[in-house]
Amino acid sequence: MSWITIIWSMEAAVCLTLAGIHFTVWLKARRVWGHLFFTFSAVTSAMVAAGELVLMRTESVERFGMVMWLTHIPIWVLVVSVVWFTRFHLRAGWPWLGWAATATRTLAMIVNFFSTPNINYKRITSLNHLSFLGESISIPEGVFSSWSYIGKASSLLLLLFLVTATVEVWKRRGQRLHLFLCGSMVFFITAAALHTALVEKGIVQSPYVISVAFLGVVLTMAYGSSADVLRASQLVAELRESEERMTMAAEAANLGFWVFDRAKQEIWATHKWRAMFGFSDSERIDLNGILQRLHPEDRDVVQQALKRVLEEGGSYETEYRLLQPEGTTRWIVSRGRVEFNASGKPALLRGVSVDVTQRHISETEAQQHRVELAHFSRITMLGELSGSLAHELNQPLSAILRNTEAAELFLQEPSPDLDELRAILSDIRKDDQRAGAVIGRMRSMMKRRDVEHGMIDINHLAGEVISIVRPDADLRKVRLIIEPASSIPPVFGDRIQLQQVLLNLLLNAMDAVSDCEPDCRRVTVRVEHVDSHIEVSVNDTGAGIPKEKLARLFEPFFTTKQNGMGLGLPISRTIMESHGGSIRAENHPEGGATFRFMLPVANGGAAS
Amino acid sequence: MTVPAPLIRIVDDDASFLKAIARMLRASGFLVKTFGSAAEFLECQEPDVPGCVLVDLQMPGLSGLDLQAALSKTGHALPVVFLSGHGDIRTTVKVMRGGAEDFLTKMAPKEEVLDAVNRALARDARERAERARQEALRAPFAALTPRESEVLQHVVQGKLNKQIAFDLGIHERTVKLHRTAITTKLGVQSTAELTRLWIAVAEQES
Repeated sequence: MSWITIIWSMEAAVCLTLAGIHFTVWLKARRVWGHLFFTFSAVTSAMVAAGELVLMRTESVERFGMVMWLTHIPIWVLVVSVVWFTRFHLRAGWPWLGWAATATRTLAMIVNFFSTPNINYKRITSLNHLSFLGESISIPEGVFSSWSYIGKASSLLLLLFLVTATVEVWKRRGQRLHLFLCGSMVFFITAAALHTALVEKGIVQSPYVISVAFLGVVLTMAYGSSADVLRASQLVAELRESEERMTMAAEAANLGFWVFDRAKQEIWATHKWRAMFGFSDSERIDLNGILQRLHPEDRDVVQQALKRVLEEGGSYETEYRLLQPEGTTRWIVSRGRVEFNASGKPALLRGVSVDVTQRHISETEAQQHRVELAHFSRITMLGELSGSLAHELNQPLSAILRNTEAAELFLQEPSPDLDELRAILSDIRKDDQRAGAVIGRMRSMMKRRDVEHGMIDINHLAGEVISIVRPDADLRKVRLIIEPASSIPPVFGDRIQLQQVLLNLLLNAMDAVSDCEPDCRRVTVRVEHVDSHIEVSVNDTGAGIPKEKLARLFEPFFTTKQNGMGLGLPISRTIMESHGGSIRAENHPEGGATFRFMLPVANGGAAS
Repeated sequence: MTVPAPLIRIVDDDASFLKAIARMLRASGFLVKTFGSAAEFLECQEPDVPGCVLVDLQMPGLSGLDLQAALSKTGHALPVVFLSGHGDIRTTVKVMRGGAEDFLTKMAPKEEVLDAVNRALARDARERAERARQEALRAPFAALTPRESEVLQHVVQGKLNKQIAFDLGIHERTVKLHRTAITTKLGVQSTAELTRLWIAVAEQES
């Protein structure tokens, strides 16, 4: 039984096995260069071990020199591999020291090529025999070559390089495994160098056992790498855990994730998303399948958005209705972002969809409430105008009555004046139309309706509102003055709602001047074009607004009137805000209050 | 002396209604004149022409009430009939207290309007006749000289000529001459008749 054969063979076998494992790993993950360099280190360690084994059994001087000469090739590979394993795997060590170690080792190998018998010896004179592990082995005796210092320099540089790497890793803190790895490599290589030196000086009678030291290096490297494998499996568990949590959060938030593969024209989606869109877990999802499930009115919009984002990149957001099998619809918001492939072309669209039906319902309800409140407030305002409204309607109706009576009297005459009768009929028609116009004006404000936006000329709108309040102003002896802007661009808004705001301000202003002497009751409406806004101000000659009340005017249910409900101004503000405008109140330096509201010009364009 | 036919003045700011009611009243046989505002009416009054005023209560500027107030200041007010789009109790009470003949809604049937107009015209006629009678009573007194009026004051108090002469510091015979002139001018036969006439006029004036 030869222990030497067993130990050195096993050494080589272990190294080769590890090399095999890491090479396989490297094949799967080519970018992890550490695995390749480890493979080289392990293979060459095995070769060095084989070399050593042969040397111990060699009986011929020539052969000893030759095998030693050959062993320098794996050593060269080994040193280079250790340097670059450290650089790639640990990302440590001074690079220039690494390069220096590589360079000197390469130089040593080149010199070795041209040396006989090798770089270590000028000549080997004889082989001595030594008892080692119960066997007689050969050790050389001869004249050392001074070239061998190149190899020693290389070993020193490698050692220094590993020391710098160790210091670097130590400084990073928290990388105990890497620190252990570096430290071990320093230890083993120091040991190998020291042993070699002692052997060569003849202090220690021993064969070369570099391979044993390198086995230590390879084993620590393997331990380090396998720790990475362990870490990877830990990461898998963590990843799964985090995915679980993500799924839970997504389900709780009603989120469905999806990825659209542009090349395959196929969509991967989470279970939640599939449930949302009515796909079973195994069903193949493509764009058409999704579009089929959308509300017909929304299909185009979604398709356009997808097309745009896939062509131009960036991100997109769409809101659309999803048809449910039972005939109802659900509102979905989808957000997505394009991911590009290596050649910079959009390859993936990754996104998230969320069911916002509930939010939609609440928004619609809130909108409905606002509409109802506005309507209620309009009715209340028209109620305030009912006196003058009755008067306004009574005039034409009474005229019609009197004309009819006159016509009847004319007809009782033996030869009625037909011209007069014609005139009467014409007057009746005019008065009828007049009454109709009054009713029509009121009806449009009384009607409960949804918001309808359109282009509105504020000058015209102010005129309409003035004509509604004019009779009331006459009754209350208030002078109404309108100062329209000369020519203004239109605003985009709801005619009735904007009328309501101005009507509200005018009625308030007329209330404000009711305590003044009749000669001083004056309300001025001014329309102006200021930058990109149309500004409408309503100015009265009343007592103004007490300072402490000025700030609270727009609060709901805050009122300064005896019979007021405190809804007019808050509703006006809501209307203004929904039009992207604003409303405010201030006291005039010369007395009286001014309310003004501002609306953005349609299309954002300011003329001149 | 011929009395002019009664003229109905209508004041309303609503041209259409003004035209219609004028038409109806004309067709009913009345003389009508229309005014677009109270100011316009007050500018061209014809107090000698009998008739009445139909006025809209609610008008910009001077209202129907303002017109009534201005009219009553002139002393020989025409009866006023108010017209209103709609009647409320407070306004009705106010205008009736102000001496309005009637208060009608604009939509009142023709018969009510004609009744009101006829009542107003009758009242005007009555008041004019009364004013004429009073004028007739008062006219002779205007012919008296100041001294004769002074003597008359004493006579109706039942004073004797001697007392009157003493009070006024004149001769008793002069008092007698004044008394003769007074009875002649007023056309009375006796002191008793003179006293009755004087009381009648004094009552009118109070």
